[in-house]
Amino acid sequence: MTFISIEFLLFLTLIVGTYYVVPHRYRWVLLLLASYVFYATLSIQFIPLLLISTAFTYVIGILIEKQERKEQKKRLMWVGVSVLVFFLGWFKYFNFVNDSLRSFATWSGFDYDVPYKEIVLPLAISFYTFQAISYVVDVSRGKQKAERHYGYFSVYFAFFPQLVAGPIERAKKLLPQLKTEQHLDYDNISYGIQRIIWGFFKKTLIADRLAPIVASVFNSPDPTGSEIVLATMLFSIQLFADFSACSDIAIGCARLLGIRLSENFKQPHFAVSIADFWNRWHITLSMWLRDYIFMPLAKGKKKREQIYGAILATFLVSGIWHGAAWNFVLWGLIHGIYRVFGDHTKQQREKMASWVGFDRAPTLHRWWKIAITFQLVCFSRVFFQSHSMAEAFSHAKLYVTPSSWAPSGMMQAIQMFSLLDLIIFLVVFVVVHLFQHIERTRGSAWDWMARQSAVTSVAINLFLIVSAFLFGVSSQGFVYGGF
Amino acid sequence: MKRLGIKIGVVLLVIIAIFIPVNEFVKESWEYNNNRAVLAFKEDPHPVDIINLGTSHAMYGYSFKSLGLSHLDLALPSQPIEYDLKMLKEYDEHLKPGGVVIVSLSQITFSNSNVGRKENYYRVLEREDLESVSWFNYYTHERFPALNSGSAYAAISREIRDFRFDAHKPWENGGLNYSERKYEEVAAQYENAVNNHEIEENMAYLQDIIDYCKKQGYRVVLAIEPVHSSYHAYFDEAVMERLVFQHLEKLDVDVPFLNYMGDERFIHKQSFFHNPDHLNRDGRKLLSTLVYEDLKRLGYIQDEDDNMERE
Repeated sequence: MTFISIEFLLFLTLIVGTYYVVPHRYRWVLLLLASYVFYATLSIQFIPLLLISTAFTYVIGILIEKQERKEQKKRLMWVGVSVLVFFLGWFKYFNFVNDSLRSFATWSGFDYDVPYKEIVLPLAISFYTFQAISYVVDVSRGKQKAERHYGYFSVYFAFFPQLVAGPIERAKKLLPQLKTEQHLDYDNISYGIQRIIWGFFKKTLIADRLAPIVASVFNSPDPTGSEIVLATMLFSIQLFADFSACSDIAIGCARLLGIRLSENFKQPHFAVSIADFWNRWHITLSMWLRDYIFMPLAKGKKKREQIYGAILATFLVSGIWHGAAWNFVLWGLIHGIYRVFGDHTKQQREKMASWVGFDRAPTLHRWWKIAITFQLVCFSRVFFQSHSMAEAFSHAKLYVTPSSWAPSGMMQAIQMFSLLDLIIFLVVFVVVHLFQHIERTRGSAWDWMARQSAVTSVAINLFLIVSAFLFGVSSQGFVYGGF
Repeated sequence: MKRLGIKIGVVLLVIIAIFIPVNEFVKESWEYNNNRAVLAFKEDPHPVDIINLGTSHAMYGYSFKSLGLSHLDLALPSQPIEYDLKMLKEYDEHLKPGGVVIVSLSQITFSNSNVGRKENYYRVLEREDLESVSWFNYYTHERFPALNSGSAYAAISREIRDFRFDAHKPWENGGLNYSERKYEEVAAQYENAVNNHEIEENMAYLQDIIDYCKKQGYRVVLAIEPVHSSYHAYFDEAVMERLVFQHLEKLDVDVPFLNYMGDERFIHKQSFFHNPDHLNRDGRKLLSTLVYEDLKRLGYIQDEDDNMERE
């Protein structure tokens, strides 16, 4: 039962309907059952792992809090984090490490006998492990009290709207909301429904429409440079639509239950720098990496080179988190280099902008920075999307070859769409940009929607639903659901 | 909340008002009725002389009615060989003793493990034979097919298929554009199948089909349908050796193999083809005649004249 299915909508309606009928003190039971049923429909064989991880994190949190000395807390924290990382590492990275060691052994002439193991990646393990680590670390730092109610803790761990693909929530934000009695509220219901509709619209009309077109180029044995350029930019749009749709649906579902999850995207492709991009893309992961990897690494460091080292290490972790393959590691490293380079050359770039005259045209300057940042992000995504390092370098070379950008080649490449698909894509692209324009100019598109008349509101929602119904397609799941 | 209820009610009413004609449109669409031959047979089951399996190449390939044979076409677009076996087992009770089974091979026989459209099978196979079927889609498909994701889009795109980029038209550049696109898709699919060890699985299914037919006393032939020269330019002998023949050689398939892929009677005649790899009515008629003659030559069928002489 994926998010994009009638079954999920029926399931959600049942849960929300029952939620407001059940007395508050039993609502955690309903949410927990719903969460486990939801997970079981997707990955029943890994329910035991989810239960074990929940129980372990619960116990370790209490044990940490019971310690009196800071060193003991820290020691137990490391035990907790190590066990959680071990689970993640075993399922996600065993074969990656194994294959890499085998390749190295072959190259250096050593014997290496550890065989390949058929290991299935448990659904959502990357997300709930990071959520668990944040809880354990926050308890050890005294920022979060260890939760004593196992039921509420289990709901926090497995809350179905955000279990599969985030947002990654901190315990201090989610747990209190779970414990607060939520009342049936028009604004929550209205907002939740609209957010879900918007998520469905983006997922079925952009992400899943673009996926086979992009895949056809990257799977092709001999794509042209223009096809790689266009497909890479389309992949950026696809990935944004896919992941942000998942977040929209998660946030919408939670809001129907009166719970506010964190925003995960803020128009990332309008970022003016790589640093700004990571404040807008997968925000909860960026914050997690900042708080639990970068800050500890950078703590006490005074030299700029040391800070840069911490930045590179943080982005390497990000890359590895995204996938167990060298092209993801390289993708992470590229972003780390972007970030370091951006910081190191900030003054020089400002001087150059001034010399060019950009300070007299701030709007032009801003759009210039947006365009450059978008291209830097797209270039890195060549590595994200490719199936191997060799393929990644080949595609990257095509991406930066000037002839790949020739208008004639691009016009030819546009024919990777069918005519109907191209028309649908252009219309939907305009709609999404209208939405983002409203966000930029009026603060919140949702507040703007709420202020519209009933007729306008109904018309907008009808357009979104009917478009998704007539022209939407659904695939097996979300891209980030595989992490 | 009353205001929200009214809004939701209005939206639902409008959606239902739009849904009704769209649903009818989808029900009439070609995609929804892809399996019309099998459904028609289910309405009126009768003993048949020949069953053919395969993908759309075979679906467009055979028509034996005018030759005096009763025929059941179990081929469907992108049908994996696993489903060839399922379809055969579901309907072979109607094949006459000693009847003929034509197992069509194509470029994707050993690399394709994914059903093109699961919906094609909802009404022709039992639910237990289908994998990963959404219960909602399954139970709504017969009456409310428009609720199945992508069905409205598929129906609409079929209706406007004449409006497409020149490069997407099947005979643009003599059919080479179409054939090149197909080649790239098949090449990617094959590589994926190799990585996922699907080739061996599909080889096993083909062996199972042949063994089953022999056990049941059916006369089985393997066949590859004709293609146009533009298609053959990309799927030449070397490519077919890599995709199909090298795997076929590894199997114990001691059955006749009718390979019309490079047949000179078809290969340069665009008039026999709907697009570079699918026959049209004229092509189907000629192929069926040739297959009929070949089956007679093999002793797999006897024509009415021979029967009358014996009597």
